Amino acid sequence: MNVPSSWRVPLLATGIAAALAYPLLVPNYLVTVGMLVFFTAFIGQSWNIAGGFAGQTSFGHVVFFGTGAYTSTILQVTYGWNPWLAWPVAMAAGGAVGWMIAVLSFRAGLKGSYFALITLAFAEVFRILANSVPFTRGGLGMLIKADPRPENFQFRDPIWIYYLAFVLCAVSILIAWQLTRSRFGARLVAIRENEDAARALGIDVFAEKVKVLTLSGAMCAAGGTFYAQKYLYIDPSIAFGVDKSVEMLLVSMVGGAGTVFGPLIGSVALTGINEGTRWLAGIVPALKNVQPLSLVVYGLMLILIVARLPDGLMGLFRRRPKAVPRA
Amino acid sequence: MTSQGKFPVSRRGFVAGSSALAAGTLGFPAVLRAQPAAVKVGMIHPVTGFVAYNGQQSRLGGTMAVEDVNKAGGIKSMGGAKLEALLGDSQSKVEVGVSEVEKMNEQGVAAYIGCYQSPVGIAASQAAAKYNTPFLIDVGASDLLVSRGLKNVFRLKPGFGVCVDDGIASLGALNKAAGGVAKTAVIVHESGEFGTGTAKLLAGKLPSIDIQAKELIAHDNPTRNFDNIALRIRSLAPDIVMMSNYGNEYMLLARTLYQQKVNVAGFFSILGGGFNYKFVKEMPDVAQYMMDVNHWFNPRSAQAQALKKRVEDGGALFTFEVYLTYTNVMLLADSLERAGTADKEKLTAALASSTFKAELMPYGPTRFVNGQNQGGRPATMQALKGDIEVIAPAEFASAKAVFPKPKLN
Repeated sequence: MNVPSSWRVPLLATGIAAALAYPLLVPNYLVTVGMLVFFTAFIGQSWNIAGGFAGQTSFGHVVFFGTGAYTSTILQVTYGWNPWLAWPVAMAAGGAVGWMIAVLSFRAGLKGSYFALITLAFAEVFRILANSVPFTRGGLGMLIKADPRPENFQFRDPIWIYYLAFVLCAVSILIAWQLTRSRFGARLVAIRENEDAARALGIDVFAEKVKVLTLSGAMCAAGGTFYAQKYLYIDPSIAFGVDKSVEMLLVSMVGGAGTVFGPLIGSVALTGINEGTRWLAGIVPALKNVQPLSLVVYGLMLILIVARLPDGLMGLFRRRPKAVPRA
Repeated sequence: MTSQGKFPVSRRGFVAGSSALAAGTLGFPAVLRAQPAAVKVGMIHPVTGFVAYNGQQSRLGGTMAVEDVNKAGGIKSMGGAKLEALLGDSQSKVEVGVSEVEKMNEQGVAAYIGCYQSPVGIAASQAAAKYNTPFLIDVGASDLLVSRGLKNVFRLKPGFGVCVDDGIASLGALNKAAGGVAKTAVIVHESGEFGTGTAKLLAGKLPSIDIQAKELIAHDNPTRNFDNIALRIRSLAPDIVMMSNYGNEYMLLARTLYQQKVNVAGFFSILGGGFNYKFVKEMPDVAQYMMDVNHWFNPRSAQAQALKKRVEDGGALFTFEVYLTYTNVMLLADSLERAGTADKEKLTAALASSTFKAELMPYGPTRFVNGQNQGGRPATMQALKGDIEVIAPAEFASAKAVFPKPKLN
């Protein structure tokens, strides 16, 4: 299915208007679901920038998420910082961790599955560290005092956290879009397609990969702070748990890795399926006591998407080459 | 949500008003309007995920209690209003637990009961606080749950602080009676808030009964192999092994220690998630002589024994999740009865001033201070000959403790 270019701006404007109007029209539960869609799309986009655009597949992106969550929470709880001020520091910390992992891994020549595994190892190391050192309170976790005031990065009405997630998602899409138009983005695509060829063209492969992982780490850390402020409690398993890495990877793959809207489309699909099947299990009397069925349906739909749409859901919107008539 | 911008009517107010108008226009027969509306109770448990069994057990207890309240005529002070259970699955995830709170709030719940895991309970009860909806923690050991100053959170059962204190007293008495055979301990705990908090408290308090903690060993959730931990324990050669973890890990660790023939004077767990009938029936040799300080029903209560029989006749096991959630529904029903309304403010006040008698539990009189029941206390149990016996407190004891346990061949 092709989307004519003349439709793109009206479609985008309609999408934005719908997203802005949505929380005014639906109950709080659906506002929260909408917030989850944008938040997951945002952290998915942070993965997509490194894994999709630059081809640096990571299995441990949660290391940046956890770094962001812990940095802002420690600054806030232990040192009394305002969370809004702690947020950019958390992003810088996430970026610094991204830079460190990139320098260590790429200087050692790790790529492909080796790089993916080393990121997983880093995430595990950070989780164990967070479990062991006193300033994170170890396994006890860190509780942020509930004080729902906007200046405190806490909102009584879920509509505001929804809009914040929407803005984060929009900014991440703008960053991804800019990558498709900039020289930096072109260099990343060249690296993804063939690293040796990119090097032969004069691209500083090492520097570009370090840059993109730093950017991706900073973005993901912003998601960590957002999460901590929304749920007000983190522990090592929540902040550095492997399931968050899978979530980021999954929304990008399902939506379409290396595309601007892939993570958002993937997040809409996966969150929709998850919430929809849980909702069905809650209202259909026959399903009430077989709630795990919702996860079975979720899994089956995931298999279908991956099997039938290897380019993700965005593949549905891509222009396909016309069939060459047989001679 | 409050009103936005120029609109004087809130979104929810508009929806409610429209519904009321529609209902009025349609003109339902008066006889239908005379039926008292059901009181909705949100039950959020992890019925999928790595603690799914425990969540399902909680759900079983909760739904049985709702059934019993309704069979007994519902809430009489509310014209016989029935309870209606709304069932939610947290999937062991904080986000999903909070999402369930929001969903059930839209459905008009009067109160929530949940969530088994402390992190989910912390976030979910926080979300419920926004709507001033009472949240009853049925299972959830962390003392953070009731130390945040939230007026809507109530916990009938004791937290890990009380369990550690009672456990230390109980172990101290056993050890003294046995001539002080235990001088060292190794503590194995899950790495989350509940296990870590319990282990740290234990390590700090063991010296008061002349036992030194040689090492604290944390493990992840889930862990599916305890060989290394068992070998480490054997090399440390402690007199007792103390455990604090969830069900599957508890049973796996116990089995591995048995297989590795780790000989100690006793296994003594605090809130051992797997110390239940399932464990002692399926692995009687492994469970034999193991001790646990945990939530337990009052074995001398006829009501508890009757419920146990009903649960077992239905093919399920009478685990602590069943009777804790059952008792919490009864506490809620009692508070609704006294409040005479499902109004959240009045219901919260009724819960806060409750003197509910927890018939099934070995508790003292209910008295909530900052949401924590001061009458809640754990029992000390021991697995003996394929059954579980209460060995302390003395007034509820059904058997005499065997300590130190006989050595393995």
